[in-house]
Amino acid sequence: MTTLLQAPAGWPSILLERVVSGDGGAAEPLRLKKAARAGAFEGLRRAVRDLGSAGTIALVAASGLRGRGGSGFPTGDKWRACATTDAPRRYVVANGYSADPAARGDLELMERDPYAVIEGAAIAAFAVGAGEAIVAVRAEATAAIASLTRAITEATAAGHVGPDALGSGQSIAISLRTVQGAYMLGEETVLLKALEGRRGQPEQRPPHPAVSGLSDLPTIVQNVQTLAAAAWILRKGPDAFRESGSADSPGTILVTIRGSAGDGVAEVPLGTPLREVVRLAGRPTAGRTLKAVLVGGPSGGILPPEVLDTAYDFGPLRAAGAHVGSGSVVAADDRACVVDLARLLTRFCADEACGKTIPCRIGTRRLLEIGDRIAEGRPRPDDPVLLADLAADIVGSGLCDHERLATLPFTSGLRYFRAELDAHILHSSCPAGVCRPISVAAAAAT
Amino acid sequence: MSFIPGLGLIRGMSLTLRRFFEPKVTIKYPEVAANVATKFRGRLQLLYDEYGTLKCETCFQCAQACPIECIDMGGLDTRGRYHVHWGPPETYGERRDESALRRSGRTVPDRRFDHFAPTDMDPVDAILAEHDHDPARMLEILTAVQAAYGHLPVAVLKRISFRTGAWYAMLYGTASYYRNLSFEPPAVAVGAPSSARRTAEATYVDGLAAALGAGRPAKGSRKPD
Ligand SMILES: Cc1cc2nc3c(=O)[nH]c(=O)nc-3n(C[C@H](O)[C@H](O)[C@H](O)COP(=O)(O)O)c2cc1C
Ligand code: SF4
Ligand code: FES
Repeated sequence: MTTLLQAPAGWPSILLERVVSGDGGAAEPLRLKKAARAGAFEGLRRAVRDLGSAGTIALVAASGLRGRGGSGFPTGDKWRACATTDAPRRYVVANGYSADPAARGDLELMERDPYAVIEGAAIAAFAVGAGEAIVAVRAEATAAIASLTRAITEATAAGHVGPDALGSGQSIAISLRTVQGAYMLGEETVLLKALEGRRGQPEQRPPHPAVSGLSDLPTIVQNVQTLAAAAWILRKGPDAFRESGSADSPGTILVTIRGSAGDGVAEVPLGTPLREVVRLAGRPTAGRTLKAVLVGGPSGGILPPEVLDTAYDFGPLRAAGAHVGSGSVVAADDRACVVDLARLLTRFCADEACGKTIPCRIGTRRLLEIGDRIAEGRPRPDDPVLLADLAADIVGSGLCDHERLATLPFTSGLRYFRAELDAHILHSSCPAGVCRPISVAAAAAT
Repeated sequence: MSFIPGLGLIRGMSLTLRRFFEPKVTIKYPEVAANVATKFRGRLQLLYDEYGTLKCETCFQCAQACPIECIDMGGLDTRGRYHVHWGPPETYGERRDESALRRSGRTVPDRRFDHFAPTDMDPVDAILAEHDHDPARMLEILTAVQAAYGHLPVAVLKRISFRTGAWYAMLYGTASYYRNLSFEPPAVAVGAPSSARRTAEATYVDGLAAALGAGRPAKGSRKPD
């Protein structure tokens, strides 16, 4: 477990409500008795006893809940699409894969309050009429697996979920599946492929998984935080949920913040200015100034301090050239070089691209090559144009979001840090002194 | 057979001549797309490189993609491992001999496993039985096989394909994708794509830590193990 960062007074606590209100972020995951006393499975009970399937979906839609897995897709719409598709069976898959190795929000939630995830998955299953909910976790995340396994056993034994969930007559079986071995497993269609035992490459959409997913049956794939938020909404009501966050995106999200001063996970209301999010990690080390903020994980955008007034929200971040993504925010001080950083991110994206389509397999490679050329001091004069063209082509022709978002590090670099790029391209010099362009290396050698 | 001698020849030649004088058309794909029948799949052709070596590297992508499983292959991959993919026997020209043998009532030698070093099949059979020979549970089967043998021997993959009915090409696709699965025994795995890909995560995590201030330890980030 990582430290939970101290949030300013007045910030709501939704996803980690039970964790924070308990003993201020206890090191032990919650037990069922204690969680139930703090409201666990009250939401599911309300769905089953009072609301029924259509009522539950209407309530979630009214809350304005959007997916926390990065896409920000309206959750109510997804559930409705799934529930209205004719099918013999349906599935719910809780996406707890946590693909970004530097993001810990999903893991913290699963480790500290597994009941929130299980209850959310059960509510989704009840709402769309799925008999089975699968929680998919990364095999390396042993703490989350241990906590979830125990929670599933306890909740099933107590009859909250299982063959006759809460006496509803409906069977909601919750199971845990571990997957591992590729970054792309976080992507919904890839995750479903892995659960089917197949090669992990994305599928073309439409049809969306909500219409045709696991074994071609309607499947709700939902981030674990989204499910935890749904459980909270069922318990406290959509109006209470709309009190936090922005008008477009109510509620909170778990953000992993890293700066040179410290790091940890914080629950941040959507719409909070980026400046306040970055501040949670503390000030830069003495004598250093904040240079760039990387928002969104490996395929994130690199934003300069000037745009820190941007709201941490799905729409505004995309407009600024970044995205919510894995919920990771990294603050780099003036020792960092933007070209080097963008190259690092692009390398990861290119290495992890699945290889199914040309923008994915070759586009990301070529992006990286241009980045390497610039960083190593052998740029071609038209490289910035080529970079922009290639990025536009990848965005236009990509099959999945991975390759489209993989263009963000360099496009945001071009957009905000042009002077630094030009220093590399025109003068073969790295202002931050990180890259060692060939001419510099050669000069040092003689 | 025609009654007028030479008629077939004249017909043939007339087609040749007609084609010869027809205007030649080059369609500027992708700006213009030719109007082809929906069933048209073009012609499969294996290409040779400038040294005269077959360019196919037995990656099985085409065999995986083929909807009617008409692509059959056997060969060495880029690491010198022999892979074979044989689909249902009835549909293949290459299997005509075997088919003839079978129809004549003689025993058909199962050449499927000939190319491999002797491998103990008991563990894989036990794993398959445990998983109901269910191809949908392939990832679990492969993970169990990897644990039992230390890697995925090609002969064992062939056995899994044979027993579960899953195409070898599909199995290969799954087995070659996940970083935790490996075709090589651990000792030779150095430099293999699986281990090269393993470091992608480490490169990223360490690089990020370095960018945040030289050498600062990546506290709180999950180090890949
Ligand atoms: C490359 C890539 C990686 C992703 N990784 C994750 C992940 O680790 N966890 C997650 O919940 N969603 C991830 N997603 C988003 C999922 O595809 C999907 O949108 C999400 O699980 C849907 O749930 P939501 O609507 O609750 O956000 C990823 C998407 C892409 C393109
Ligand atoms: S196996 Fe791979 S390399 Fe060989 S023909 Fe098929 S797709 Fe091409
Ligand atoms: S990563 Fe290959 S298609 Fe998106």
